[in-house]
Amino acid sequence: MTEGKVNDPAKDNSRRNFLKYMTLLGAAAVSVGVLRGALQNITPAVSGVTGGFPTMQLVDSSGNPIKTTDLVVNNPQIVTFNYPLQSDPNFLLRLGDSSNNDVVVKPIANVPIPAGGSFPSPGGTGPYKSVVAASAICQHLGCKPPEIRFHSPSAANFPGKIHCDCHGSTYDPYTGFSVVTSPTTHPLPNVTLNWDSSTDTYSAAGLVGPTIYGQPSDLSGGTPFPSGTTKTTVTSEAP
Amino acid sequence: MSDKDSSSKILSMPSLVGESASLVKNIFNDPQPLPRKVPDYMRGKGGFWYWTGAMVMTAFLYEALTGLVLLFYYQPSNAYVSTMAFLNNTPYGSIILTSHLYGAYAMIVLVYLHLLRNLFVGAYKKPREIQWLTGIILLILTIGVGYFGYSMSGDVLSADAIDVGKGIAQQFPIQSVGFWLALVFYGGGSSISQFSRLLGWHIVLAASIGVLFALHFFIAEYNTIMPKVEKGADKAPLIDKENKEYKPWYPYNMIYMSQIMFLVTGIIILIPSILAVLPNVPILFSPFPQAAPGTAAAAAAPAYPPWFLLFIYKELDFQLSITVGPFWGTVIFIGIPLLYLLLLPILDRSEDLEMQNRPVHVALGIAGIAYLIGLSIWGAVDPGVPVDYWAFLLFFAAIIIPVYLITKYVTEEVKSDNMKEATLPMLVILLTLIAVFAFASGITISGYLASPGFAAATAMIITLVITAILVVIAVALILGILPEITQKPEKRMSGSSYTFLGAGYAFCAIALVSIMMVIPPDGSYNGSLYGIGLGLLFIIFAALTRLYRSYVYYE
Repeated sequence: MTEGKVNDPAKDNSRRNFLKYMTLLGAAAVSVGVLRGALQNITPAVSGVTGGFPTMQLVDSSGNPIKTTDLVVNNPQIVTFNYPLQSDPNFLLRLGDSSNNDVVVKPIANVPIPAGGSFPSPGGTGPYKSVVAASAICQHLGCKPPEIRFHSPSAANFPGKIHCDCHGSTYDPYTGFSVVTSPTTHPLPNVTLNWDSSTDTYSAAGLVGPTIYGQPSDLSGGTPFPSGTTKTTVTSEAP
Repeated sequence: MSDKDSSSKILSMPSLVGESASLVKNIFNDPQPLPRKVPDYMRGKGGFWYWTGAMVMTAFLYEALTGLVLLFYYQPSNAYVSTMAFLNNTPYGSIILTSHLYGAYAMIVLVYLHLLRNLFVGAYKKPREIQWLTGIILLILTIGVGYFGYSMSGDVLSADAIDVGKGIAQQFPIQSVGFWLALVFYGGGSSISQFSRLLGWHIVLAASIGVLFALHFFIAEYNTIMPKVEKGADKAPLIDKENKEYKPWYPYNMIYMSQIMFLVTGIIILIPSILAVLPNVPILFSPFPQAAPGTAAAAAAPAYPPWFLLFIYKELDFQLSITVGPFWGTVIFIGIPLLYLLLLPILDRSEDLEMQNRPVHVALGIAGIAYLIGLSIWGAVDPGVPVDYWAFLLFFAAIIIPVYLITKYVTEEVKSDNMKEATLPMLVILLTLIAVFAFASGITISGYLASPGFAAATAMIITLVITAILVVIAVALILGILPEITQKPEKRMSGSSYTFLGAGYAFCAIALVSIMMVIPPDGSYNGSLYGIGLGLLFIIFAALTRLYRSYVYYE
């Protein structure tokens, strides 16, 4: 076939270009259609709990409620419980001074968030107002215990602070888990603990402050507890 | 404007779009016979540098093969337990798992080596720009597939790697996009959803490496190898024109390539098997998964990423990264070097292939690899210790300024014929090593000053002595006072030596395989012993191939 035969005399270039653009438009339409389907398809459903924060009683491994005497002041062990999702560890601390006497942790109206803003910290609870809890996932890049842990006030390194070995972030549990040293720009989210003085039992009822690291919200983006769970187990391990 | 004009304008535009269009057109309309005839020098002395790509391919094929085996056993619902069960309770599982890790390490090292070789010989220039671009994308994919693979084991280091990756993704400037990225890569939150995604992405990225590698390979075949040319004639575009003396690909190159593939495979199996039976291997080079996250044993593992991501780990300690956050820190310290590599064919469009005519890019190449290794060492020695602005500036200035000044001086000397051009490749390697060891000396000196002791003193002395030796060799090379290495004409071994050597190698192989047959197949330790034997068998096989080539083809 020669060039002349291919070139239909009636063909004009503006029409040819017009057809080119129409074809491109068609391609764009196909892409939009495919992309929308593909992008939505590969987005997973976020797992979590619906409704508000659940209230969960803190219990030991045999299911008995944790009492104040079960908590050791300045415990060198890493004591944690999962809340509000099964994959969210939280520190449970009974804070003391360097001679292991309970310290009253006062509520703070404005715990500063270096990245911007502030939040109210609930302060200590229990008979001596010394029991506090906060997310145990470092707000910098998500390291978990034992990499991030509480160092007792008599420790040689980071006394009375929560320090993360991964990148060196330090938090102060006595002041609403506020930021002591960077690289973190957010305090640890504080757990609201309720203490029932008649039964001497503790329960977790919510979180205040920044969102738990790595999750779209405190209640989603992790493994939820089986529905109907009202207890969460406190575990302790050697650092 | 007529249609003809516009199409020719597109092609003459000095743009990669135009060049890739003409490349596609040429490949389809003017197909070259594959494989072509091949020159002898790519199998001769120094021919090694023509085969860095083949070595990467070997590692990739090894990874694909062992990865498919691992796929039979891996359970995203039970990541850590299934990984440890494969390691300890599946016959020869330890060889597959540990060499899958070390095959990935080998692939990453070889990709860097391949990249540096092509950077220094100027293989990114006309007509190989697209080849270079696909190569850089393959580098990114290789690091990415390594990251996902590493994160799959479910041990404490993988948990850290996942959390860090998630955090960096979530800090994408538009928050909803960041969260979406984290969801797509790491799943909806549950553990099974997370490990299913990691497995999926690991395979998706590996498959894209396969596809892009095929493209990279065929473009490379089309553009030919960088030919050996006379001094002064090395101007882009350089194409290897077949001549009558060229030999067919089969059997010459095929047997050579087989030899290389056996050797690389042998090393990939041998190294992790040896490390597996040695005591006290540092975690950074341990071929095994670490403790499960959240256990007391996990605290003993330093929160390291794998060594090939240590440089990212350290850059996040810079005050600048702390100020702007991990996402922008990564963009600055990883994105900018990658952008430079991607744009290199556009930044350096001159036809000069000789190193002395492009000192800036040669110096950037040397400094770049020195930064990469330096940051990695720094990350391993001082993990998580913040670096303030002056130390950060000192680190960058202390490498780039001397490297640039020396490169500039040396290239000027070569240009004015005070130095031989042939010494340049050696100097490039020396300068890189000097930069790395000088930096390592800095670390060991500060380590000694911080806590003097026997180990610190030994480390300091060793690094200083190596630096000094390298500097002396480099200076001698620059001054031209090294004795000329005269090449002796290669003497061919006698016929009976070939018989003797061949029989010796084969006897070793049979002896080795006999010993291996009595090793019980259970347990990770026995598996590793078997792996040592298997690695050695591959290397003996490579040696026999070498012997055969030497006798039959006089090579």
